[in-house]
Amino acid sequence: MTKKSLDHVLKEYIDGIKSIYPKADYLFSNDTLFIVVPKEKLRDVTEFIHNKMDCYLRTCLGSDERPLLGHFALYHIFGDDRNGLNIVVKTYLDPKKPVAPTIMDIVPAADWCEMEARDLLGIEFEGRKQYRLVLPVGWPDNLHPLRKDVPYNIRPRPSAVGERITPPKTATATIPVGPYHPALHEPEYFELYVEGETVVDVKYRGFHVHRGIEKLGESRMNYQQVNFLAERICGICGFVHSTCYAQAVEKAAKIDVPERAKFIRSIVLEIERIHSHLLWIGVAAHLLGYDTGFMHAWRIREHIMVLAEFLTGSRKTYGINLVGGVRRDINEDKKKQAIEVLDKVEKDYMEYLKALLAVPEVKKRATETGILPKEDARKLSVVGPTARGSGLDRDVRRDVPYAAYNYVDFNVPVYDSGDNLARLLVRADEVIESIKIIRQLLDQLPKGPIMAEDFEIPENRAAVSLAEAPRGEDIHYIITGDGRPYRWKVRAPTYQNIPALKVMLKGAPLADAPLTIASIDPCFSCTDRIYVINETSARKIVRIGIGLCPG
Amino acid sequence: MSEYIKKSIWVFHLNTGSCNACDIEILDALTPYFDAERLGVKLVVSPRHADALLLTGPITYESLPKVIRAIEAVPRPRFILALGSCAVGGGIWHDTYSTIGGVPELLKILKNRGIEVDGVYYVPGCPIRPEALIYAVGILKGILQKKVKMRVRKAIA
Repeated sequence: MTKKSLDHVLKEYIDGIKSIYPKADYLFSNDTLFIVVPKEKLRDVTEFIHNKMDCYLRTCLGSDERPLLGHFALYHIFGDDRNGLNIVVKTYLDPKKPVAPTIMDIVPAADWCEMEARDLLGIEFEGRKQYRLVLPVGWPDNLHPLRKDVPYNIRPRPSAVGERITPPKTATATIPVGPYHPALHEPEYFELYVEGETVVDVKYRGFHVHRGIEKLGESRMNYQQVNFLAERICGICGFVHSTCYAQAVEKAAKIDVPERAKFIRSIVLEIERIHSHLLWIGVAAHLLGYDTGFMHAWRIREHIMVLAEFLTGSRKTYGINLVGGVRRDINEDKKKQAIEVLDKVEKDYMEYLKALLAVPEVKKRATETGILPKEDARKLSVVGPTARGSGLDRDVRRDVPYAAYNYVDFNVPVYDSGDNLARLLVRADEVIESIKIIRQLLDQLPKGPIMAEDFEIPENRAAVSLAEAPRGEDIHYIITGDGRPYRWKVRAPTYQNIPALKVMLKGAPLADAPLTIASIDPCFSCTDRIYVINETSARKIVRIGIGLCPG
Repeated sequence: MSEYIKKSIWVFHLNTGSCNACDIEILDALTPYFDAERLGVKLVVSPRHADALLLTGPITYESLPKVIRAIEAVPRPRFILALGSCAVGGGIWHDTYSTIGGVPELLKILKNRGIEVDGVYYVPGCPIRPEALIYAVGILKGILQKKVKMRVRKAIA
């Protein structure tokens, strides 16, 4: 994209917003357009950006800026992937009684993030149904943990009385399974409503894994420590989170990261993708009743775990990211061994893949099940392999290159059929692409330092950072503060993908449900959110575990 | 070491708000490379079938009531394997607003409610290594010895 076209696009945005509100303040920095509008104009501006300019909502967040500027603020972050732009719309809210207009009817995806802002900051939204989303039952109504006057370690008495998860009218068929299923890796809960064998509706409740990460990052940690905290958002795709966080701070503070550090980050990111996809492929095989496939996938994956330990010092939760670079170098010896391991893994994996796809049950059960049509995929703005399995050609690594991805050449596998097999094949192909990427990166690894020297992080700068996690695009938004982030917001990929489950599951046979739910590779420790769908014609309630669902 | 449990230990996996790293390492321990099943460890589908709980995570408020119910459902003698730094002492979340801070706090709550636990085995690490999990199983079965003695030091205020 040429500079001129970017200017042109920016002018289009600014002119459009000025026609709605002539006094709008704006600022363009890195790849992000910041706009301030009053709350009366928020809905008009949203409609313009979302509907006319065809952007999608990345996320929204509230922020308590009373100590700084004397008010609450609400940010809506929109994305324009065609031009690689982020648009941040900021609205000031009253410090005593923050009330904002909802944009949920314009952008359905804003449902959760608005309720999250209400729970954590006490921002009320007008014109929509409000409910408790994030905080546990028994939490005091007027205590909002992300407000700056609330200490991070405040602990109201733990309520050991759980809410009744099932609504009373359908509780007649209660089976004592609860949110804990032995094969389930995380406490989350699906209810499928079935008529005969056909699923008519689905309900998901989660948020058992809300650990107060954002508050911790804003109150107890410093800039460098938050890297390690970010890695503990998720045990499977943690390195993506820590890279995304580090990039956000580097963008906000305009730090030049050495090329070598960027290459090392990309290598580790791809190693993580291989391990995550192999894990998923194994689990998918298990769900299809092909346990041999499960065991073999994990056998191959073990080599990758050992390689990760060899390169970073840890099997999981690598801990090598810092703001400004990385902590561990890859020397010639390690490079050689890494290539040897990759050769072995590639050989084993190709054999395995051939065997897996030759198993008739796998093909039969994955074909034509859990279909997500392209139109729905676009409307719901799904990300990652879920989008690519439905024919949406989206990949942050290629569209908005970060780390060292603009130095490598790789394909983005896209399948059009939108069924479980398509999502399986996307992941299967991505493993091969990842191996290819690591080989290229190791080959081109430039010489030089791995850590930027002498940098300062100025206060009150903001930045949006994107990264392609194994499950889709991960977004971190940061406002810098004194020695630590002033506000740090994470949006994980599964957040975008869960609503797509409703489309996939409706009208499908119950037996396909476990595979379909797993096919988006849900990660609940990242997502930590609730999705509630209205119950319609619920006849019978059946609870299922979704098998060895990976994070 | 238990005088009641010497042979196959059936375990129930209880995630109380962990980040999944420990959880995938548990699975890893059961797959071909480590193969804990050769020691008789089996992941079971209900706490009612289990001898021991593999507890990961710092125990969030939201999951607390469900955790208590799951522990109640385990028949005596019941053992808890607290896996990972989060479960051992709350880890990095030891004083955040939405967690109770690990198994020691949970044991206090259980004691107040009169729910007894016959033994707790702490496996530190972030995340735990599959070898550590297998070692803990060895201790539980009485074929290995504990590596460290517990000594409580007061934190410097």
